[in-house]
Amino acid sequence: MHRDWADIWGGGVLALLGAGVAVHAGLTLDFGTLRAMGPGFFPTVLGALLAVLGAAVAIPAWGRMAETPHIAWGDAAAVIAAILIFGLGMNRLGILLACFAAVLIASVPAPHSGWRWRILLAACVTGLVWLVFIAGLRMTIPILPRLP
Amino acid sequence: MTAWEGLAHGFNVALQPDVLAYCLLGVTLGTFIGVLPGIGAMAAISLLLPITFYISPEAALVMLAGVYYGAQYGGAVASILLRLPGTPQSAVTTLDGYPMAQQGRAGVALFVSMVSSFAGSMLGIVVLVVLAGWLSEAATAFRSAEYAAMMVLGLVAASTIGSDRPAKAFAMVTLGLILGCVGTDVNSGAQRFTFGIPELMDGINLVALAMGLFGVAEVIGNIRNAERHAAPERVTFRQMMPSRDDLKRMPAATLRGTALGSFFGALPGTGSTLSSFLSYAVERRVARHPERFGKGAVEGVAGPEAANNAAAITAFVPTLTLGIPGDPIMALMLGALVIHGIQPGPEMLTARPDMFWGLVVSFGIGNLLLLILNLPLIGIWVSMLRIPFRYLYPAILIFVCLGVYSVRGSAFDIATVAVVGLCGYLLALARFSPALLLLGFVLGPLIETHLRRAMLISRGDPMVFLERPIACAFVIASVLLIGLSIFQNLRRR
Amino acid sequence: MKRDLIGVSNSASGGLAFTRRAALAAAAAFALAAPAFAQDWPTGPVHVYVGFPAGSSPDLLARIITEPLSQKLGQPVVVENKPGAGGVIGVQQMLAAGPDGHAFGTTINGPLTTAGRLMPDLGYDVAKDIQPVALIATSPLVLAVAGDAEATDLAGFIELAKAEPGALSYGSVGQGSGAHLTAELFNEAAGIEMLHVPFTAYAEVTTSIIGREIDAGFMAPSAALPHVASGKLKMLGVTSAEPFAQIPDVPVIAGNAGMPADFQAELWNAFIAPAGTDPNVVARLNTEINAILADPEVQKKLLDMGWQAAGGTPEDLAKRITDDTRMWGAVIDKVGTAK
Repeated sequence: MHRDWADIWGGGVLALLGAGVAVHAGLTLDFGTLRAMGPGFFPTVLGALLAVLGAAVAIPAWGRMAETPHIAWGDAAAVIAAILIFGLGMNRLGILLACFAAVLIASVPAPHSGWRWRILLAACVTGLVWLVFIAGLRMTIPILPRLP
Repeated sequence: MTAWEGLAHGFNVALQPDVLAYCLLGVTLGTFIGVLPGIGAMAAISLLLPITFYISPEAALVMLAGVYYGAQYGGAVASILLRLPGTPQSAVTTLDGYPMAQQGRAGVALFVSMVSSFAGSMLGIVVLVVLAGWLSEAATAFRSAEYAAMMVLGLVAASTIGSDRPAKAFAMVTLGLILGCVGTDVNSGAQRFTFGIPELMDGINLVALAMGLFGVAEVIGNIRNAERHAAPERVTFRQMMPSRDDLKRMPAATLRGTALGSFFGALPGTGSTLSSFLSYAVERRVARHPERFGKGAVEGVAGPEAANNAAAITAFVPTLTLGIPGDPIMALMLGALVIHGIQPGPEMLTARPDMFWGLVVSFGIGNLLLLILNLPLIGIWVSMLRIPFRYLYPAILIFVCLGVYSVRGSAFDIATVAVVGLCGYLLALARFSPALLLLGFVLGPLIETHLRRAMLISRGDPMVFLERPIACAFVIASVLLIGLSIFQNLRRR
Repeated sequence: MKRDLIGVSNSASGGLAFTRRAALAAAAAFALAAPAFAQDWPTGPVHVYVGFPAGSSPDLLARIITEPLSQKLGQPVVVENKPGAGGVIGVQQMLAAGPDGHAFGTTINGPLTTAGRLMPDLGYDVAKDIQPVALIATSPLVLAVAGDAEATDLAGFIELAKAEPGALSYGSVGQGSGAHLTAELFNEAAGIEMLHVPFTAYAEVTTSIIGREIDAGFMAPSAALPHVASGKLKMLGVTSAEPFAQIPDVPVIAGNAGMPADFQAELWNAFIAPAGTDPNVVARLNTEINAILADPEVQKKLLDMGWQAAGGTPEDLAKRITDDTRMWGAVIDKVGTAK
């Protein structure tokens, strides 16, 4: 058991975010008045509120004991990378190549060794995507890489 | 024309063989599209839109409505089995449906969700038939002050769900409200937090936010928990059947959900979202053991599912009589009508009774078809859980990306999913409720616009919220509710 | 029935005149360039970018044009919906696809005229990056008030507004929208002052007027019509120079009730290409689109949705863009300084 780090960090980050939002909105947007609210009214008030609520989450957690959850940074990185490669590469690499690459990357952290199943999986998912989205739903996405 | 004559008229239209065939096509397609994680009715309806040029407007609308309902039934499958809600409404279904699936009661959860969806729709139709005229009057009686006050009440009432610490719950709602501010301010045209990115001018994409918060976050957290589900080897009909205890809890929850859904659905805007959150909050409040919620309480699935289906039915009243669509899918359906030269408006009920009542009857037939179609499929859906997760999750990610892309063809939205997914994973680890964030995100812009509009029209006089009786009632109810929860909190200590 | 006949005959003659002019322009263009090209093009599916979601009015209008266009070109013409930022994202996506003769766009006037003044960074320069192809259709706006409103005609409405400056309010579909700028233009021309209440869709504006929450609004005729039929709204005037075929009984605002004779405001929809697109392709497209717009069936479909078929040469469209940019720019300056 440790201090309740989840709430300390969670509350702390939210408090900082709220303060940031309030300051940014306060500086760049017109606050208006209570009777004639400007575009900055809601963001500023809500930002300040989030800062207070974040603190209300974080401060009591300092004196409390709890399990600290384990953050799987590697798994997260692989999933995020796969999504970004698919999303940003889709229109340049074509959907087949982007999908194949994204599945391979996403499957890296899976707790099962070997490359053969990963390549096979990537091929299957790519085929399925072609079948459902290109042949079935007729989405207009480049299929093959765009030659310069 | 009385409602009963209208209904008879409607049966004539809806039972024509071609209309019936398009209804079946719509619900079938909708179910399968809805089951695919991440893909909603939007993709299917966009695909079908060109076809509607060539068929009668009745058949076109019946088919598109079928897709809409079908996708809702199918969407519940993805929400319960994989925690992948495509809409804020089904995000509520995950709160208790997903824990049920984890306890090996996936079949029961799906059965309950389908039966209460069906019951909600059918009762919604009854409400629609009896009260159609009254509902459309009620919708015009609501002004900005009423909307603002009503949504504040909804937000307050729902803020208590899904979290053990009130500060954490309110923080999530507030974060959602802040994210809802992103985009062009309706009143002034000012850009807020868009940082010069045109894709952000219309705000953060709702589907991208929901998919990131739930789907992607769930995938990241489960890659290493290979045995995350206690999936039964084979689903027999017995295992699908709710226990006697479940059966006792279901009917009241379904009825309460239907009542909430029917009322809020008729108010243009996000009646459907509000009613499913409210239904969940009500069930939690009336339950003898509220601590069961979030851990697989059957009422937490039955109530909201009945509510959002009933709301989807009554939502056709403002859509058709005022031309105000509740969501982008309804807007698409209106477009299909306009192609055929039919402008929705108050004349719709009298000028095109065939269309209106035909649609109403087709709702009933469509939902019946869906129930018949879906009950036998439950076993197949549940058996999907036996596929090892390492084969499943890369495919889920790709489908989520393409589903988000299908909303408005934007690669930027896929990048949003990635960023939101990471944040959602961290929030889930620290036990913050993503459902509340989503609620704040949906209601925030509406509250702000209506509040500021009410103040603008009253020339800055805040008394407008107290002088109008309905608005005043909502304000008082909100204040009472806040007082009540503070009082309960103090007493617990 | 009578209403339809008038509409069709009016726009048919207009369409024909434009077609002849466009054909001449196209012939001139062909004579200058290598003739072989026009037969090769298009070599694959043609993509038409639309900055609004499927099922919306600009999308439906695009589909009315692209369907026959696909038959005439012998290649699929695919509508690509890229909604966002009031249509600007559709134009950006078209430009990103490049001038290879297979990427085009249809857009409302906003992204080509006012958007440059209202958005911090448009990402394109209309004069340099856009090749006009043809004006597709125009639509006036109508001034609508509640069916039980005190004013029965335009003169009565202006009188009412003058009696108590700032007491009347009007709805629009957003800051800088056609509905907003037209109303400001009207305010200035009539010498009145009305409170601006922004909404996001015409349906919200009409509901608010019917509920007597706000007093008036400029809107597309098809947004008001269903409620006019039930007596919940009435139309006091139309912003076109001539009575509009869809609503022939509604008087024009110009020259009426002391309003200036040149008071005119129209929304439009145009077919555009990325700058650098082969001039032969532009000329061929212009010819085909003018031919499509001359078809009475197409004209009727457009009119049912509240659009008057237009047409004309690319140069006509270019002039329209410049003129409207100047006109609305002046209104935006005015509103901006008033704030």
